Amino acid sequence: MSASEVYARWRHRLIPDHILGEILSKTWIDNAIPFAFLIIAIAFFAFINPHFFLLSGLGDMARELGEIIFVTLGMVIVMLAGGIDLSVGSTFALSNFITLALFNWQGWPIGLAVLCALLAGAAVGLLNGILVGYLRLRAFLTTLVTLIIIRAIDDTLVIQYSTKVVVPITQSKVWDFISDGDIYGIPIPFIVAIVIAAVGHVLLTRLRPGWHILAVGGSRRSAHNAGIPVRRTVAMTYVMSGILAAAGGVFYASRLGTAGGDTGVGLEVTALTAAVLGGNSLGGGRGSVVKALLGALTVTIINNGLISLGLKSGAGSLALGVVLLIAVAIDVRWLKNRHKVLSKVYVSPAYFKLPPCPSITEGSGSSYALNDKLHDVELIGLGEIDAAEDPILDINDDLFFGSRKGDIIRYFGPDHKRWEVYVHVGGMPLGMAFDRDGNLLCCVAGMGLYKVVKDTRKIVKLTDETNRTWLSIVDDSRMRLPDDLDIAPDGRIFFSEATIRFDSYEWMVDGLEARGNGRIICYDPRDKSTKTVLPKIKFPNGICVAHDGKSIFYASTWGCTIERFWLEGQKKGTTETIIADLPGYPDNINRSSDGNYWVALVGLRTPAFDLALRKPGFRRRMVQRVAQDEWLFPQMNAGTVIKFTESGQVIDCLWDKRGVNHPMLTSCNEHKGYLYLGGIVNNRVGKYKVPGADPNFTNQGSYWGAKP
Amino acid sequence: MIALVKRAFDAWRGSGPSAVTVPPMDGALRPNQAIEEAPVLLEIAAPDNLVHDGTRLLFSSGSTVYAMKATGTESVAAFDRPVSALALHPGGAMAIGLEGRGLELRGGQHDGKVITELGGRPVLCPTALLFTDENTLLVALGSQQNAPERWKHDLMQRNASGSVWQVDLTNGKATCFADRLAYPYGLLAAGDGGVVVSESWRNQLIRIHPNRKPKVELSDISGYPARLAPTADGAGSWLAVFAPRSQLLEFVLHEPDYCDQMIQEIDPQFWIAPSLSATQSFLEPMQLGGLKQLGILKPWAPTRSYGLVVNLDGAFEPQVSFHSRADGRRHGITSCVEVSGRLLATSKGGNAIVSIPLAAGV
Repeated sequence: MSASEVYARWRHRLIPDHILGEILSKTWIDNAIPFAFLIIAIAFFAFINPHFFLLSGLGDMARELGEIIFVTLGMVIVMLAGGIDLSVGSTFALSNFITLALFNWQGWPIGLAVLCALLAGAAVGLLNGILVGYLRLRAFLTTLVTLIIIRAIDDTLVIQYSTKVVVPITQSKVWDFISDGDIYGIPIPFIVAIVIAAVGHVLLTRLRPGWHILAVGGSRRSAHNAGIPVRRTVAMTYVMSGILAAAGGVFYASRLGTAGGDTGVGLEVTALTAAVLGGNSLGGGRGSVVKALLGALTVTIINNGLISLGLKSGAGSLALGVVLLIAVAIDVRWLKNRHKVLSKVYVSPAYFKLPPCPSITEGSGSSYALNDKLHDVELIGLGEIDAAEDPILDINDDLFFGSRKGDIIRYFGPDHKRWEVYVHVGGMPLGMAFDRDGNLLCCVAGMGLYKVVKDTRKIVKLTDETNRTWLSIVDDSRMRLPDDLDIAPDGRIFFSEATIRFDSYEWMVDGLEARGNGRIICYDPRDKSTKTVLPKIKFPNGICVAHDGKSIFYASTWGCTIERFWLEGQKKGTTETIIADLPGYPDNINRSSDGNYWVALVGLRTPAFDLALRKPGFRRRMVQRVAQDEWLFPQMNAGTVIKFTESGQVIDCLWDKRGVNHPMLTSCNEHKGYLYLGGIVNNRVGKYKVPGADPNFTNQGSYWGAKP
Repeated sequence: MIALVKRAFDAWRGSGPSAVTVPPMDGALRPNQAIEEAPVLLEIAAPDNLVHDGTRLLFSSGSTVYAMKATGTESVAAFDRPVSALALHPGGAMAIGLEGRGLELRGGQHDGKVITELGGRPVLCPTALLFTDENTLLVALGSQQNAPERWKHDLMQRNASGSVWQVDLTNGKATCFADRLAYPYGLLAAGDGGVVVSESWRNQLIRIHPNRKPKVELSDISGYPARLAPTADGAGSWLAVFAPRSQLLEFVLHEPDYCDQMIQEIDPQFWIAPSLSATQSFLEPMQLGGLKQLGILKPWAPTRSYGLVVNLDGAFEPQVSFHSRADGRRHGITSCVEVSGRLLATSKGGNAIVSIPLAAGV
């Protein structure tokens, strides 16, 4: 073994690359960048100014943070629906003035004063909403104009009455508590902001109006086509934004109690920076309350940090502007490239060295030597069949198998000329078996383990979930690719799930990884429990309970092995490898009438692919650079059927030398002296007369003693 | 320094010179099944290098040179090793390139002459021969390391040790026209005393002239070019392309580690490499798009072998092309000649000589 190969082997054993792709495929990864920004901001200011994060300073900062959270939440809600609200700063200032004017100057009860301030904010929002939502003016220009108009009104009022509003003529304990009080050291504005944020989170993620907002922002036309009142939804977001900005103004009034010309100036930029920095998309449809909070916190820290550094006032705005620019750039680039990055890093091949491949050369004396026994098979349903992964027969000689369209097809025996759709399952049916009562059990790709009741044809879901693996990043509790099943004498159903990392249409990508991504699961009908029996197997595929019912055989497709798992006896719970060096990739296993087992090899090992398995970097770069249709793959245009004994000795081998009738074999099922051959990408089922086979053998007879 | 960094970056990213993109078969190269559906003139093992001097029509198969006549084929000359190149002169001379041995002349003024060295180099890999006049022979040597039968090795070793020579048969003087070519495989006389050479591993045609710099006439061919032949009217030319390029192959060529280990450990028949013949063994590599669906191999499936002849105009722009696609058998076209309104082409991988009827004006 060369040095580079030793390196590759250890490198891929020690560093689990696949985790990176799994993390990137999580939706919460969108929060990673804003969170990183936050950490960087905290680290930066803590480093520059060690006193910055002392508790005494935090209280004031939290008070101000509460106000910014309000305004940012409003901005985010508008942005989620695909708009923008620049008027928040003016609304904020107007609300500040109204609160002070009504409470300090006019002496109104504080509750009423606050209500009027919020209503004023709602009115501004409604104006924006009507203009943008119903009249469909440009959000940017419209809210810019409202920004100027409201600012002008506010300035006029402030110039005339600013001295009058600052001196309170009444007192309110509530108002004092809001302005100075705290609960366990946490200022009231911050607490209220967090409560409102929680409400907003529930609204956006759990309630219909929130979903409408996200839908409108995601795609206006689709939302319209889906019957969502787009205009009203857009208008509502501006009203919400107006109210939230006004709420921020109220707390500002409580904190400072003054109305000046510079109140809320530039707040729209602060809020926008916070929103975008938190990872809320400017294009709408993508964002969350948590992101808004992250962004608001970061911006507040930056703002206060710059002030604490004693920078001139212009420098703070400059820094904020630069941060906004960076955040927007990242937003655009990340959105555009996230899927590209994910598709590049998700497939992560592992090092795998197969044992030397036994010869298949004709006349080589090998157990696998090429012959042409499958040359003259009888073809059933030629051209009518699509994706017969695992054809099986019942005791009345009817032939059942799945189809790509999500049906289970029945060909009527004994001649198999007429057919019907037995049931429509929905997903693609793969492995099948009959239980003791003659019900049809079936693994359905993407769905789970299902049962079709014998006479009523009722479809019953047996299980689609198993226990989640501790610390797994991919949620492996749901089944992605149940493949084949078999039933133990006690009724327990053992079935294989080929891979937990890929969906059924990507099963071949799993082959390029060559990692143990699959598992064997047991469903116990007695207590309806499901649990994983054997994890981390390289594409477990066919499963067959031994003739004596004490062990199960299973095929590891990419591992090119047949394994035996003991259910009873001394070796209970252990696994032993029965055949370690198949020349191809084993698929479904079934019993034969002479006490042995049939297994179909779906494809053959090729020297070029075997070499590639030892070069994970080669395969990873191939996946990244070469188009999928061009990927190197095992030879799947040739298959064979072999018969093996319980001890793993290969005693027969059936080939279709020209690769014409059965370019790919996924299953072989013996029934009354014939072997029925299926292939998942083939358009036929083959029927091969097995020389010397028991003409009365049926699988149901072998398992359950059933007689026609 | 910048170039070095750029190259490293390109290799890491798979961009620039490390890109695996392959020019599409488009425009004049739009696929058809003309070669696959053409009548078979003759079935014979690995026919190669058809040549025509106006009256005689010769080709090689293994170590024998055959003449094709109205009555059938007859053996003209037999050798003790494979014939890898042929040339005819209307004056009666015939030049034969012998694998790993050298050149022999039969007939004409220089009958019996044997050339085993050119400019001090052994003639290991003669791939194409061309008489410019009765006393002057142009010789393309594909490689200095590998004989013609080891062409796959030469490609996968990423060699560029081919050369083109002019030999004066009267005094045996040899002049090197061009060196360090990546497997020159075809020769076509250009009017100005120069010669156009198909450079297989670089997928291009170059014009070589004793007194001028080489000039690329046609680059980015979608396959590996083999022999060139003039059209009947002399205005254009025919280019046989013996194998297709593919993304996977380009990728493998950029992976020296894999490539070298493949050469060491695996039988060349099972390499990820271009092939003259369609899949013959289950042990050959398969690409995902080559999976038979519902019993059918799609003609556009990725393939390592292909049949292609391209008609070029006087400026070496492709005009018309004939194909045998992924699902066909007439692959590995190494040479062709135009004879009385038909194009005869040797499918070395398909063991046949096909006769494609030419429409008027082609």
